[in-house]
Amino acid sequence: MARALTLLGVAVVALAVFPEGVAACPVCFDSSDENRMAFIATTAFLSLLPLGMVAGAGLWLRKKTKERGDDPFDPNRPEP
Amino acid sequence: MATSSATYPAEGTPIPERREPLIPNGVLGMLIFIFTEVMFFSGLISAHAIVKSQAAGQMWPPYGQPRLPVEETALNSLALLVSGVVLVLAWFAFKREKSAARIPLFMAMLLGIAFVGLQGVEWAALLADGLTIQSSTYGAFFYLIVGTHGLHAVGALLGLAWAFRRLDHDVLTSAQLATVSAFWYFVVLVWPVLYWTVYL
Repeated sequence: MARALTLLGVAVVALAVFPEGVAACPVCFDSSDENRMAFIATTAFLSLLPLGMVAGAGLWLRKKTKERGDDPFDPNRPEP
Repeated sequence: MATSSATYPAEGTPIPERREPLIPNGVLGMLIFIFTEVMFFSGLISAHAIVKSQAAGQMWPPYGQPRLPVEETALNSLALLVSGVVLVLAWFAFKREKSAARIPLFMAMLLGIAFVGLQGVEWAALLADGLTIQSSTYGAFFYLIVGTHGLHAVGALLGLAWAFRRLDHDVLTSAQLATVSAFWYFVVLVWPVLYWTVYL
């Protein structure tokens, strides 16, 4: 177990120090500015979109819960 | 029979009333499905953006490929957007009186069918012009993205037809209408994004 963890640690450090070794993405290091920007923009878009949707759905449900009058975070809520 | 005291309320304690769910189960399921669909289309749009940025000489559409019918599709898109508005009217009519939703629901379906039909006509013309799924990445992305949306539109139309049939038999519930409508709204709202991505 300890050996496996050590190996994992070494692998993580190696990848952090030599990131070129994992540059499998064909567009990440393209010389074209437009291509690089497209890559960065789509990465940001695809990363933030699910978080935004989940957060939006959570806030919407919270609002609906409040409207119904049984918000579990309301300090004045009567004990069930 | 073995019973657990935790399963049943203590004698004399009133059984708690079952609360109505915040949103109907069908609508919740559809919303989760729509979330996955949003991610699916986002993936397609992102792949399109990357490939477009790699185009030789930044020329998009690529040289020698037919141009897409931007104006005709804009008109077609209008039909789809109007169908979404009409479906909202159908919802309010349903809330007022169930039978009043028949005409707007039918109109929304007709407009949706017109959209899908006109897309088919457009595809036939483009195929005749030589734009196929194999002719270039341009053609591949066009048919993949627009075709996937078309399939979703057909699926949503089937849902609306199912709702219309139930409405005709006076057994349609508001939760069922909301569920199929949510999918149609998704089809309607994702289209302008796809139009902007693929056509413009």
